[in-house]
Amino acid sequence: MNKPGARPAGPRPVGRHPGPRFNGPAEKAKNQKATLDRIWTYLKNQRFGLISSVVFVILSSTLSLLGPLMIGIIIDEHILTGDVEGAIRMTLVLAGIYIVAAAFAWLQTFVMIRVAQNTINQLRQHLFEQFQSLPISFFDKRQQGDLMSRMTNDIENLNAALSQSVIQIVSTVLTVVGTGIAMFALNGVLAVVTLLVIPIIIWSTKQIIKRSSKNFVARQRDLGNLNGFIEETVSNANITTLFGKEQKTIEQFKEANEKLRASALKADIASGFLGPINNFINNLGIGLVIGVGAFMAIGGYGVTVGVIASFVTYTRQFFRPINQLSNLLNTFQSAVAGAERVFEILDEQREAADVPNAISKDHYDGEVEFQNVRFYYQKSKPVLHDLTFHAKAGETIALVGPTGSGKTSIIQLINRFYDVQHGEIKIDGQNIAKYKIENLRGHIGVVLQDTYLFSGTIRENIRYGKLQATDEEVEHAAKIAYAHNFIKYLPQGYDTILVSGGMNLSQGQRQLIAIARAILEDPDILILDEATSSVDTMTEVQIQKGLHNLMKGRTSFVIAHRLKTIENADQILVIKDGCILEQGNHDSLMARNGFYSSLQHELQVQ
Amino acid sequence: MQAVLSLKKYLKPYVAFALIAPLLMVLEVSMDLVQPTIMQHIIDRGIAAGDTSYVVKMFGLMILCAIIGLIGGAGCSIYASKTAINFAADIRQELYETITYFSNKNKDHFTLGKLITNITSDVEMLQRALTMLLKVFVRGPLTFMGAILIVFLTARELFPILLVVVPILAIAIIYFSKISGKMFLKVQEAVDAVNTRVQENLAGIRVIKAYNRKQHQIEQFTAVNGALMRRNIHAEQIIGILMPLTVFVVNMGIIAALWLGAIKVENDTIEVGMILAFINYLMMIMGGLMSSTHVLMLIARAVPSANRIDAVLKEKSEIHNNEQPFTGSIKGAVTFENVSFAYNKNSEPVLKNISFKANAGETIGIIGMTGSGKTTIVQLIPRLYDADQGVIKIDDRPIEQYDLQALRAAIGYAPQKATLFSRTIEENVKYGDESASLEELIEALESSCALEFVEKFEDKAQYTVAQGAANLSGGQKQRLAMARAFIRKPAILILDDTTSAVDSISESKIQNAIKENFKDSTKFIISSKVSSIRHADKILVLDDGEIVGQGTHDELLEANPAYQEIVSTQLVRGGTLNE
Repeated sequence: MNKPGARPAGPRPVGRHPGPRFNGPAEKAKNQKATLDRIWTYLKNQRFGLISSVVFVILSSTLSLLGPLMIGIIIDEHILTGDVEGAIRMTLVLAGIYIVAAAFAWLQTFVMIRVAQNTINQLRQHLFEQFQSLPISFFDKRQQGDLMSRMTNDIENLNAALSQSVIQIVSTVLTVVGTGIAMFALNGVLAVVTLLVIPIIIWSTKQIIKRSSKNFVARQRDLGNLNGFIEETVSNANITTLFGKEQKTIEQFKEANEKLRASALKADIASGFLGPINNFINNLGIGLVIGVGAFMAIGGYGVTVGVIASFVTYTRQFFRPINQLSNLLNTFQSAVAGAERVFEILDEQREAADVPNAISKDHYDGEVEFQNVRFYYQKSKPVLHDLTFHAKAGETIALVGPTGSGKTSIIQLINRFYDVQHGEIKIDGQNIAKYKIENLRGHIGVVLQDTYLFSGTIRENIRYGKLQATDEEVEHAAKIAYAHNFIKYLPQGYDTILVSGGMNLSQGQRQLIAIARAILEDPDILILDEATSSVDTMTEVQIQKGLHNLMKGRTSFVIAHRLKTIENADQILVIKDGCILEQGNHDSLMARNGFYSSLQHELQVQ
Repeated sequence: MQAVLSLKKYLKPYVAFALIAPLLMVLEVSMDLVQPTIMQHIIDRGIAAGDTSYVVKMFGLMILCAIIGLIGGAGCSIYASKTAINFAADIRQELYETITYFSNKNKDHFTLGKLITNITSDVEMLQRALTMLLKVFVRGPLTFMGAILIVFLTARELFPILLVVVPILAIAIIYFSKISGKMFLKVQEAVDAVNTRVQENLAGIRVIKAYNRKQHQIEQFTAVNGALMRRNIHAEQIIGILMPLTVFVVNMGIIAALWLGAIKVENDTIEVGMILAFINYLMMIMGGLMSSTHVLMLIARAVPSANRIDAVLKEKSEIHNNEQPFTGSIKGAVTFENVSFAYNKNSEPVLKNISFKANAGETIGIIGMTGSGKTTIVQLIPRLYDADQGVIKIDDRPIEQYDLQALRAAIGYAPQKATLFSRTIEENVKYGDESASLEELIEALESSCALEFVEKFEDKAQYTVAQGAANLSGGQKQRLAMARAFIRKPAILILDDTTSAVDSISESKIQNAIKENFKDSTKFIISSKVSSIRHADKILVLDDGEIVGQGTHDELLEANPAYQEIVSTQLVRGGTLNE
């Protein structure tokens, strides 16, 4: 189920007790060291901020450590001795320390947030730019949801780790070490008694994690199964209804739901012990300090009431960070794993670079030649075998053939979404690899079967074909494409806002806008990949008119279902299994009595 | 809030757990609260008087308290988990059952995507909020109020400090929670903007590359990315004030306690242990206040979830059986008499005054533009929707009188979108009729021209269909969906544009198979292609929800302008080639 991406960012719980929470085992990075090094290259640019932030942490942590010590001193040397004036003087000093500590604590957050956000911003920008530079083959192989989740979840995890965990880990370590030193300085025996509790903490936490890890895995599995079942059966609810399978699906659901109930109970109960046990250990620790401290005080082993007071306050400061530490390390670990996934994309091979001295042209005549072109997506499955054909400038070439025959591959090669493995493709007598890829694509217009529109107004979407086009030019293009007719009836006309993908328009309307966009681009070579399929016939008549205007005077490659477009083509290439089976115009192919004419014939008799 | 109350009934079976959990939490909290007081006594009476046996007694008491607290805390945790998980599982079950029996109108009202969210994340949210409610929400306020009360009772001399510190803390925490909510809403907007951009760029990457718009896209992204960073920095820096501020306020309370304490100890009004106890209580107050706000926010976020769930549970399915449904056999004659239908009360009707008659065993072709109402007509037959006006009869009996199960069992329906389940091919096809034999399975696959590709799989009919049938082509999916309808050997067979992705040779094979194997079934065939329906006994030509022509292909071709136009665009010059 879980739609990848879009984890709601906030509001973060304010002042959440960073108490022990357990969310199952954290994912580990494959190569932690290399990933950390790489994160550092990003942080390096913020070196000044990072260093000052760490300095602020050290200062504020050290100052906070002075607090309990001072409380003890005030009690022992001033309150118990009746020195009110001295006590007040010292409390004022303490107040000063607290003020400075608070200021440093705030400064540290202030600076660190800037560091983290700048870093994240940069990483996000790099990832986005990398997306823009990767070849189409990359996007054909990867799932969009997975790429999305790298941009959202993984980067968000890193953000959380940078803005909080890193500093917290530093301050935790400082507090623990500092408190330990202070305790030993105050009274060694009492310090040892307090520290006795630590092994218990570690042992019990480990036990609980060990137990709940197992249960969490089971719970995650059951939850995944249940959610998958829900997703599938609810989206296909019509089928359930039509086939009268309500009772049966409910029973299947119940089975999965009961499994989850059982495993969720086990997992939750096991991890639920973490809180109370930590609380118990805290209380035990404080109890030990007070009890043993009192005995020592009475027995005269150099323990005073003030020392006990300091110890109690230290103990409260001491255990909480230790409890937190494993949690923090978990967050940190999954952030590194997330960063690794982001870097993995950044390391992907970018689109082929232009050759040195690549050619740029203002105009292409549009003569296209395929010479012995071989092409495959996977080596074991060749798609095109030794394809050779020649399109004169201004001709319309129709590609016909069954699904999987290689039609789409042919046009993907022309605008270099993919490159050939063997043979060559020439435009205006030059190998296409010699042209600047941007220049080449700038002169090739494409209308795809289900073309993509971006969120924004209709005007912006048409203007996508030529960014500096005036409103008049946009409307003119729309008129040529026969899109103006429906646009003018929309309440907001050209300023109608489209949602992502243009889903608030019908498919036919989207297609007309895509055609207008291509007209505005005014390309020298035009590619139409099933631009009119799955549009009903009435709409198609409109689109045909728009397309007809568009194709005039340009070399056009057309993949189409409907005969009408094909019949008027200068050349028809019948493609089957990656080879050209037949070639010619409609009349000559009909006369040949081959594959094409049999297809035609079959349609007519039906 | 109303919704939260009406979900209360799902708590009933676990009401004992739900009461025990907070009670046990009270135990844990009181043990926590007693501790500083015991400490105070150890210092003021034990150490001061050098009374070892008293110290032993008190020390023992302290450990005992810790153990009792542990029992309370662990117990609370167990019972809270039990309550929340059982409560959530029950609601989930009830929700799923409700949704499964929803009519299409109900489903349209909520939309499937939202229903899925309701049953997954909303229930999850509720479960988490309930756990927190039973654990932390008792703990936070109780600690907070308990500590104040104990200070009032045992350390009244220092109590005035609380009168200053607690309101400041409360105001600061409430204020920051409020603005943090607002600020993160703004951050969320910026996050959404970034996500939309990325998502669009991934979906539209072909267009971007074809138009060379890399720079343009990067510029746009840089703007939203920068906005997100600025909002994040702004929000987090302001929220970041809270933690140092609260710690600072509490520390100032400690300063005040020491100051005031020094004077009072000098006057012999209090003893030193009280100061220490007070400092401990002050820390507890801060902790309690903070965790209460946290839970409060979590609960506030769960309320909308509760509302949504409640709305689904309260929804009544619009379509149900009559008191005494007719369960007799169905031959398959279908009559529509002046049927009108709109998906929404306020919207334009999708079907207007539809009347036609299909005799048992006839083939009815339905043709028309996208949006003309073809699918809606056939959806009324298995009562996925009920007509607003007019009567639909099967074998001269209004369909409302039939038992719903029996009615649908008599219909084999292959919908426009060929949806399959992630199970084996055999299971998918047998979904139509679980008792079907192997011969019948093969027969159905053969009729739908699916056998040829199924045989090519290594696992044959045991081949597992992936989620969303991603490992099958469009044509393969359609053929399996038809096989699933065929295997029912239904009295009424409905094929809603099921050959759009099937190649024309296979399509004609399927047409022949239907003609031979379903002689007695009434067949409804929807298509936008004339070739798919031209041999029908009767063709209905639909335009904008109205029947603008009915008759055989030849009759319509002769006299019906709408049909003539469709035919002229398709058959004469522009039929569909291949596929």
